[in-house]
Amino acid sequence: MSGERSVGANAVGIEARGLTKSYRGVAAIDGISFSLPPGSRTALLGANGAGKSTLLHTLATLVAPTGGSALLGGEDVAEAPARLRRQVGFMGHVPMLYEELTPSENLRFFARLYDVEDGAKRADELLRAVGLWTRRDEPTAVLSRGMHQRLALARAVLHRPRVLLLDEPETGLDAGGIDLLERLALRDEGVTVLAATHRAERIGRWATRRLVLDRGRVVGDEETAVAERGVEGAGAAGRAR
Amino acid sequence: MKAALAVMEKDLRLAWRDRAGWLTAGSFAAISVLVYSFALDLAARDVRPLLPGLLWVTFLFAGIISSGASFHGEAERGTLDAQLLAPVPRTALYAGKLLANLVGLLVVEVATLALATILFDEPLLTPELGGILLVGTAGYVSLVTVLATLGSRVRARVVLMPVLALPLLVPLLIAAVRATGAALGEPAGEAPWLLLLAVFTVWSAVGSALLFPLAVER
Amino acid sequence: MSLLARLTWRGAQRVAALRWAVLPPVAGVAMFVLLAGAVIAAPREAVEGEVQRIFYIHVPSALAAYLGVGVACLASVALLWRRDMRWDAIARAGAMTGVLFTGLTLATGMIWGKPIWGVWWTWDARLTSTLILFLLYSAYLLARQLADETDEQAARFAAVFAIVAFVDIPIINLSVRWWRTLHPQPIVFDPFGEQALPGSMMLVLAIGILAVGALALWLIVLRAEAEGLAQRTAVVRHLVDRREAR
Repeated sequence: MSGERSVGANAVGIEARGLTKSYRGVAAIDGISFSLPPGSRTALLGANGAGKSTLLHTLATLVAPTGGSALLGGEDVAEAPARLRRQVGFMGHVPMLYEELTPSENLRFFARLYDVEDGAKRADELLRAVGLWTRRDEPTAVLSRGMHQRLALARAVLHRPRVLLLDEPETGLDAGGIDLLERLALRDEGVTVLAATHRAERIGRWATRRLVLDRGRVVGDEETAVAERGVEGAGAAGRAR
Repeated sequence: MKAALAVMEKDLRLAWRDRAGWLTAGSFAAISVLVYSFALDLAARDVRPLLPGLLWVTFLFAGIISSGASFHGEAERGTLDAQLLAPVPRTALYAGKLLANLVGLLVVEVATLALATILFDEPLLTPELGGILLVGTAGYVSLVTVLATLGSRVRARVVLMPVLALPLLVPLLIAAVRATGAALGEPAGEAPWLLLLAVFTVWSAVGSALLFPLAVER
Repeated sequence: MSLLARLTWRGAQRVAALRWAVLPPVAGVAMFVLLAGAVIAAPREAVEGEVQRIFYIHVPSALAAYLGVGVACLASVALLWRRDMRWDAIARAGAMTGVLFTGLTLATGMIWGKPIWGVWWTWDARLTSTLILFLLYSAYLLARQLADETDEQAARFAAVFAIVAFVDIPIINLSVRWWRTLHPQPIVFDPFGEQALPGSMMLVLAIGILAVGALALWLIVLRAEAEGLAQRTAVVRHLVDRREAR
């Protein structure tokens, strides 16, 4: 994998201004405001139903806000979604993959949708990186939960996004998968990361910031020091995805 | 345009891998023509005047059955969201789905016509009928595709689809049946049926393409 | 854009504010005048006799049906555009009233058709297209009824259908008219056609349109209010559910 991006140069910040989204009249997130600087890596914490998923969906342009605005790199997501969507990588609770297609076909299809240069090469590169190279031509349906999640990770970073929005990405991953996740996504210097997580003990390894939600409101927003950087094999800095 | 082709190719590949949905539609069409041939043979000596209506009703139902199949799992597995996340116009996604459904249905319809040719001893695989088939199928598939995409997020869609789609498709049914009748040499009146069919097809394609982006937003 | 939206919303509110002061008295008084006019004042039609008097309720019902589905269509456009569920309540109210009056149009038409044509039903162009209109918006109500009042996805789905259905109406009318050219056309009432109505008949018809129109509008407003309240109840229910889940 070749790193063609200088560290932090193209990362974009994430900002929310009074962001609100109601489902069936009930606010899932309620007037959320924060500003995450470019290149920051934020752990999104909170109990179930605190609004983490809704916040991530809204930032990813999947869900239109009921009120307030969300900005990526200073641009309102409601104004220019098509261009902004190219910069966003998203991982949700469901793998967002076609079970009947092979891992290779899944990645190639999304590479075409994202108009990735040399899409086939990029797909192969990622299949090797996430350890699915030998299983690349089997139907996705026969793969294990952890492999699904690895493939979902590959799909999320396929188009070299500048913003990664991850909703509990470690769900179903084994230890090796979690290392992979940290290497490919969480500790990539070129991107701004906002990741909901329930693995509090691992946050220290990658997060530079914590954002805590409770019942749809921000109750904590603080910078943290990243401990144990580069413990796991090669250093994260400068590593390309 | 590239995105639309990518979506179409993906949908056709999915349809080929998971043939159940399309096989159901195809078998439905075949069984329907067979059953009609039994039922009408007893009732009427000359079934040819009934043929256009019988064929188009079969096609419409086959289209409704298969449209559900092509959205099987897209909403639940998040792949609809995954496509909406991509930096391509929603219209391109719609066009891709539409083209894939069109190709699948034309295959089912041509097979049905071949079967009907044998059963009813009437040459049905003519270029003229092929043209009517293409225009008419494009018309109903564009409407059914938009309803199915939206419906994939709504409960009880299977029961609902015919109830929603068929009244909307009345003009298409009338025009297609008359045009087919005229092509088979039945009296069909002087009205320009093929023109009406084309107008309906253009209308439903444009209208659906305009509404689709608005409707998939959440 | 938002100014226009605010104006439309304010316009709708203004109509709603008059719901008790204007609509019921107008509808009530006009209805009595209509009854008197249709039964007593209007002259007996030479060919059709007394049966013809149903025409004074039949034609206004058809117009009221179009008012209802028109409201449903416009409110659906507003819903897709503004994402405000209050428009969904109005769209449902419009569709319900539209279906009600389409049904009345069909029923009064049949009552008229039996003695005049000798049959309750025939596949005449206008009958067919009215029946399809009835089916379309019944389907809309069914689709909307299957989901919760506050379900935005279902509301958007139904809104798309309501718009498509409304735009489909002219094409349906055209196709059905061509379809029936094969058969002899039954003589259908054509109030603005060659057999121009005498002045007194025209006047009674105008009063009928006012009476039924005001009634339909009142029903739409009341129904929209009721749907709005149902939405708010559902929201409260969701809030309670959420609290209990904690």
